[in-house]
Amino acid sequence: MSFRQASVLPGFGLTFGFTTFFLSAMVLLPLAAMVLAAGSMHWHEFVHVVFSTRALDSYRLSFGASFLAAAINLVFGFIIAWTLVRYEFPGRKLIDALIDMPFAMPTAVSGIALTTVFAQSGWIGRFLEPLGIKVAYTWLGVTLALTLISMPFTVRAVQPALLEVQHDLEDAAETLGAGRFYVFRRIILPTVLPALLTGFTLSFARAVGEYGSVIFIAGNLPMKTEITPLLIVIHLEQFDYQGAAALGFVMLVMSFTVLFAINLLQAWGRRRQLRAANS
Amino acid sequence: MSITLDQVTKQYGGVPVVNDVSLDIGDGEFFVLLGPSGSGKSTLLRAIAGLTGVDHGRISLHGRDVTHVTARKRGVGLVFQNYALFRHMTVAENIEFALRVRHVRGKARRQRRQELLRLVALEGMDERLPAQLSGGQQQRVAVARALAHKPGVLLLDEPFGALDAKIREELRRTIREVQRELGITTVLVTHDQDEAFAMADRIGIMNLGRLLEVGAPHDLYSRPATRFVATFLGAANLLLARRTADGIQVGGTTIAAADRAPAANEHEVVAVVRPEEVELAPARATLTSNYLAGGVVDEVVFTGALEKLRVRLDAAAQTPLLAHSDADGAAVELLQVTRTQHEQRGFAVAPGQNVAVGVRRVHVLPTPLSSFTACAASAQLAQELSHEPLLAELAARMKTRITTRTEARLGVAEALSEAADFVGTTVIASQTDCAHRAEWLLRRGARDLLVLPAGARAPHRVLIHWMGEAARSATLAMSASVLRHVPAEAVYVGIFPGQRAGSSGPRGMRELLDARSEAQAAHGLEMRTELRFGDVAEELARRLAEAPAQMLIVGITDLTRFAERFRKLLDGGQWPVLIVHRGAP
Repeated sequence: MSFRQASVLPGFGLTFGFTTFFLSAMVLLPLAAMVLAAGSMHWHEFVHVVFSTRALDSYRLSFGASFLAAAINLVFGFIIAWTLVRYEFPGRKLIDALIDMPFAMPTAVSGIALTTVFAQSGWIGRFLEPLGIKVAYTWLGVTLALTLISMPFTVRAVQPALLEVQHDLEDAAETLGAGRFYVFRRIILPTVLPALLTGFTLSFARAVGEYGSVIFIAGNLPMKTEITPLLIVIHLEQFDYQGAAALGFVMLVMSFTVLFAINLLQAWGRRRQLRAANS
Repeated sequence: MSITLDQVTKQYGGVPVVNDVSLDIGDGEFFVLLGPSGSGKSTLLRAIAGLTGVDHGRISLHGRDVTHVTARKRGVGLVFQNYALFRHMTVAENIEFALRVRHVRGKARRQRRQELLRLVALEGMDERLPAQLSGGQQQRVAVARALAHKPGVLLLDEPFGALDAKIREELRRTIREVQRELGITTVLVTHDQDEAFAMADRIGIMNLGRLLEVGAPHDLYSRPATRFVATFLGAANLLLARRTADGIQVGGTTIAAADRAPAANEHEVVAVVRPEEVELAPARATLTSNYLAGGVVDEVVFTGALEKLRVRLDAAAQTPLLAHSDADGAAVELLQVTRTQHEQRGFAVAPGQNVAVGVRRVHVLPTPLSSFTACAASAQLAQELSHEPLLAELAARMKTRITTRTEARLGVAEALSEAADFVGTTVIASQTDCAHRAEWLLRRGARDLLVLPAGARAPHRVLIHWMGEAARSATLAMSASVLRHVPAEAVYVGIFPGQRAGSSGPRGMRELLDARSEAQAAHGLEMRTELRFGDVAEELARRLAEAPAQMLIVGITDLTRFAERFRKLLDGGQWPVLIVHRGAP
């Protein structure tokens, strides 16, 4: 590798140095500290904390609800992005701006707002109550909160990809005799699939790490509505730094595994295209 | 007929983008729709494909009315300017797309694909992705894809727009060969006249949503009927000339016109002189063609085979040259000349040199609108009138000029007998005693008179009516001429005296239909028709008051009690009225 490469920004050496420095200082070092803290535990102790029933239930809720939220956003985020890209209607700009609201709001505010609306006496909750559906203080509430705060990621990832699907492509497919569903399945979906996957990944990652909004609506019943980040905080409050680090380590490994798997999937998709191209 | 369009109209926000287009395209014909951008040609093509609905009119393909059939079921092949290939599919998958949709079996599909790839000379490219092909190759794939399902009609929307000159030529040839081999009816949309000339059996020229003229390339070039076609199809010098009993009087000489229409009386006409029909010589005596005027060479540009010149005609020349706009849109009053190598060797010229200018051939446009004369009681009023927005817009679009004329005694009865010579269309401002002034001008010999309210804008609808059959032809010709330059719909208003009397009904309908077919056949003007009952001037005034942005063109033969009859229509009216007077003054 040569450090002399032509570019607009000065000095590859300098920028590369900054990149490594920042990544190290902001990401790698804290992570390493956490791993070290967890590593200082006794093996037996580590297993006890990490595989306790309470911890296992919290993993299931955290990753399950996050996966569900990301999946919901995959569908509805796509529909929202489609509406915003394809239609011209009064208030479009306003809705477009509203999409980013979950980004900007303190997550605790989102949590409180959702709880107010979905609590048994809330605006929506009171109508769901007679149907036997409880949202607040159940896993449903957790999923709802995670869906809300991770929704912008899918929408913003898909929007530019949809902008690139030219109308001409659909027109061409239509004159060739394709129906709407066929056009969607064979033309639009393949074009935006990579963006959809990216959106899914980002939403999932955001949801897994979410804390603020969930603790208000979840009710935090151990083994029922307790997410892993909350369990970590509980450990911290008991000054059990090692236990918190151990749980953090597990989250780290699992998140990394999921993200890496999705990345591999994308890379595989790209390679398949290239292979088709080169054969 | 493969494609039949009947009064097809498409509007966006009330503005017609395609305006009453009727057209028949024969089996196996290669038809080119030519026009500047925004002329509505692409919209018309999309309407034929079924991708755009029409607001009015009918579309038939091979005798089947498909006006309300979706693009999916129309069975046409469409090729786009930007190829519109499916980028995630291979060439093979792209071409087989229409066959897969139709559930054609694998073997038949492969066979058809091979056939098509051979047709567009891309054998062996089956497994490539579009991104791996050059622009020209991609467009070939697009053509093959559009032909896969054996469509009855092939539509090409500026297919060469994104390609460089050399590839363009090659692809043109390929497409023409494919078209001939398959005998498929083809419509090509383009703004490039070279392309149109090179490929078309027939060309249809569109502007402002209207189909102005249709014809074989050579006919359209040598005998255009409208200024737009004359100047859009190749370069043209437009001159104001006079049609006399002997022929066309341009500059110093009278030339026998190419068309020998009998001149009823002397009047101003618009003459077209192609740059290649202009001859330059050192002196008048050495010219081999008709002398036009003297001039000074302004610019000489060498372009290889041809030399392009601009010549400034002497101010004393009796023939006004109408300004044409150059590539930048600036008005230039210079004569365009092109000369061959042979001519250059015979007489080399340099900028600044004095030359004698001759013309070999003159074509006279049949348009009755030659130029405008703003007429008022004082020079200042006339000057103001000439700057009216509608008048300025019309003149600019028609590429003609506005002169002013001061009639100090406008409307004074004693001045009626003074000799007068009215040139072109006379324009007066709309005011309180307008009908009286209009009569005064018409009696003194004005043939076409435009009464213009202050601040009038381009109309969205032009109402047409005439009193007396002698004025019919002239009124229709004038209407066609005006409507070629404004994006408005044309409505013929038939008016019959009295209440809804049953007796005049059938005769009235007959007249209406005759008028419509004459407008269509002789002037290429498509118009809607309306029937009303009552006093003519009253009904017209009522109709005009019904909606904003309307204009009236009315033909008359008889000036008896004119001011009295037209007072309601003209005095203080808020709408432009164009009076076409044919008959004894």
